[in-house]
Amino acid sequence: MKRYILQRVLAIFPILIGISFFAFFLINSSPSDPAEVALRVNETVATPEAIATMRRELGLDKPFLLRYGTWLLDSLQGDFGNSYITKQPVLNEMNKAFPATLALASLSLFITMGVSMFFGIWCAVHEGSVGDKIVRGFIFVGTAMPSFWAGLLIMWLFAVKFDLFPTSGMDGFHSIILPAVTLSLTFISTYIRLIRNTMIQNRQENYVLYAKVRGLKEKTITRHIFKNSLQASLTALGMSIPKLIAGTVIVENIFAWPGIGRLCVTAIFNRDFPIIEAYIVMMAVLFVVCNLIMDIVCALLDPRIRQGE
Amino acid sequence: MGLKRLIAFVLIVLLCFLALGCSGKDAGRKEDKNQLVYASTKDIRNINPHLYSGEMAAQNMVFESLVINTDQGVMPWLAEKWDISEDGKEYTFYLRKDVTFTDGESFNAQAVKMNIDAVVANRERHAWLDMVNQIDHGEVVNEFTYKLVLKQPYYPTLEELGLTRPFRFISPKCFINGMTKDGVNGYIGTGPWILTEHKDKQYAIFTANKKYWGTKPKLESIKWKVIPDHQTILLALQKGEVDLLFGADGDMIDLDSFKALQTEGKYKTVLSNPVASRAILLNAHQPITSDKKVREALQYVVNKQAIAEGILNGSEAIADTLLSPTIPYCNVPLSSRTYNPEKAKELLDAAGWIMGSDGYRHKDGKLFEITIYFNSNNAQERTISEYMQSDMKAVGVSLKIVGEEKQAFLDRQKTGEFDLQYSLSWGTPYDPQSYLSSWRIPAHGDYQAQKGIAKKAWLDETIGKILVEHDKEKRQKMYDEVLTYVHDESIYLPLTYSRTKAVHVANLKGVAFNPSQYEIPFEKMYFEN
Repeated sequence: MKRYILQRVLAIFPILIGISFFAFFLINSSPSDPAEVALRVNETVATPEAIATMRRELGLDKPFLLRYGTWLLDSLQGDFGNSYITKQPVLNEMNKAFPATLALASLSLFITMGVSMFFGIWCAVHEGSVGDKIVRGFIFVGTAMPSFWAGLLIMWLFAVKFDLFPTSGMDGFHSIILPAVTLSLTFISTYIRLIRNTMIQNRQENYVLYAKVRGLKEKTITRHIFKNSLQASLTALGMSIPKLIAGTVIVENIFAWPGIGRLCVTAIFNRDFPIIEAYIVMMAVLFVVCNLIMDIVCALLDPRIRQGE
Repeated sequence: MGLKRLIAFVLIVLLCFLALGCSGKDAGRKEDKNQLVYASTKDIRNINPHLYSGEMAAQNMVFESLVINTDQGVMPWLAEKWDISEDGKEYTFYLRKDVTFTDGESFNAQAVKMNIDAVVANRERHAWLDMVNQIDHGEVVNEFTYKLVLKQPYYPTLEELGLTRPFRFISPKCFINGMTKDGVNGYIGTGPWILTEHKDKQYAIFTANKKYWGTKPKLESIKWKVIPDHQTILLALQKGEVDLLFGADGDMIDLDSFKALQTEGKYKTVLSNPVASRAILLNAHQPITSDKKVREALQYVVNKQAIAEGILNGSEAIADTLLSPTIPYCNVPLSSRTYNPEKAKELLDAAGWIMGSDGYRHKDGKLFEITIYFNSNNAQERTISEYMQSDMKAVGVSLKIVGEEKQAFLDRQKTGEFDLQYSLSWGTPYDPQSYLSSWRIPAHGDYQAQKGIAKKAWLDETIGKILVEHDKEKRQKMYDEVLTYVHDESIYLPLTYSRTKAVHVANLKGVAFNPSQYEIPFEKMYFEN
């Protein structure tokens, strides 16, 4: 087991270096010249002299591999460079924005877990009932609805019509509710379906039949089924933590939430390479690490996986 | 039993939701009616007045200039009066003696010199503004007299000293190593507002300057709230979280929403006088549009009346010439070319583009097909393009429409790879001098489109001469020549003169406009209870 974990942890580094190189390459192949864009964003007319000065200032006059090498060495020491636009260290910008996104993603995860567990179990137990059909209808709509639309509808209903929450901004606990609910909508739909379907599948297993034969209470059996269904959901849930953080982009823009998604979107429009690069690396780390943790947890939960190793 | 439990759960969740909502209900409300909440899609960012990274409207609240541009021309501001030497190269400014920076520093000739020197020290960054290149040096004559010496008699000197940036004054205490180009350690000005709080990407609070030398603001504070999404801004306005929307060219609010709010009657909508020119560039450096006859024909194809009324809801005035005759030096007698498809057809026939059986014109086996490019974020430009497409189809011209992401659009503008493209002038007080001056910069679509005309070199040279011509009559004569030439070459297809738009709650009074579409006169606004 220890060997397995060590192997997986060591494998992270080449993956991250590969991702960072690929990202660096792709960003730098973008047709717009970031030096020019940096000037334009600051509403300065980009004369050839101004562009040349800016290129020197940003270090863009150096060859690609040298730039990547410098970036890699610096970032290994925790220095992701400075934003092309604001000139602030990228790490500062990320640090300022990350807590807001983390709060939003955590609350969404909490809502997603609570709601989808209840409905997932309920629907599995009452498979085919009217309630199940209604919930499945809701899932269908929830998955199909793009979050910018859902967000605006929720905002219109609960902020403008019922006057319960502020429309946007980050101003106390009540202002996080609407964006968190919007963000969790898609995930809720996915999880209800996942929990419901795995539980229904599990019900066909022999241990359920055996439990029934033993005359166990329906409630106890459901509990066993749920525990056994948990593994698939857990992996999916683990992977949805980075997805939640990455998925805040649209929600943050609509609800004026000053998080990492908005930072990244602005950076993309402004060709602010250091921020885009840092964002991609951060997301890669999150995905790889969450994946690893989930694999380890699953291995711990299920002896078959451990032994298969 | 099961269904009951399901309903109970849903009810509990809803109740929690409502309880949460009610507990926070008042927090989002604005109790202080002396605070105006203004919604913007952008944060104020770095408002260093000598740089370009911040929002101009915010820079204008805090920092002031020696003179200001008004509808009546240049007027005294921090300078009470000025003298101009015979040769037009020396400007002596007599400063007001009652002005202090909000940190207590006195505003005097020394402070003026420090600020203007700091701007000149960063000359490369201000390349768009010829004025900075024209400054030779500045002198402190006495405590409240400052003399600016130019290399040549640059005529728009006073207009450009009054622009929102870069010639505005920041407290000498904010300088870092005697400079401002690498940042400042505070945003202290002499203006009617003081920046008291700024939460990056969330909001900024400006408090009224109690010791302001001029007419003091009536409101106590302004909250500049950042809401990146236009739809959210509208909902926030409807909920009463926002009091004012203000902006030019569909930046803050699109015309359909503007119209909807106008008819709803709950809010006041205000339009400024026409400020800037909206035109289509016809690229003389591309195969089809390089023919002057074709460019001329296209002038008669588009029904501007229908665009102004149907698409722009009558919010913009039809433009017959590129620059409105009300702009200084632009009252030049030019033939107005109004919608006349028959005439367009004649001209196209004469140019050798013959109508084919497919409903489109052809010449030497080549289809008359041109492409218009625009910034895909601009909903207005898409609609106008679609409208033009049908007008062009009527005379046998195929117009392709391509919307691009802003930076890609600007890249294309620089390379000149377009047949047609939108062009928007900067408006008063930048028009005509700064706008014409920008035609000489290769990164601009104007330059690229003009590259194909015979006298482009002469055009650029004359514009350069205009700027340093001391004699007003000679200057006017040169403006006449330039504007007539550009008009005759049909490089621009003028559409409308745009206006700045504002939407505000009914009890907010005093909403007006400055000559520059980039400034917001908050100091004149107040609430009537």
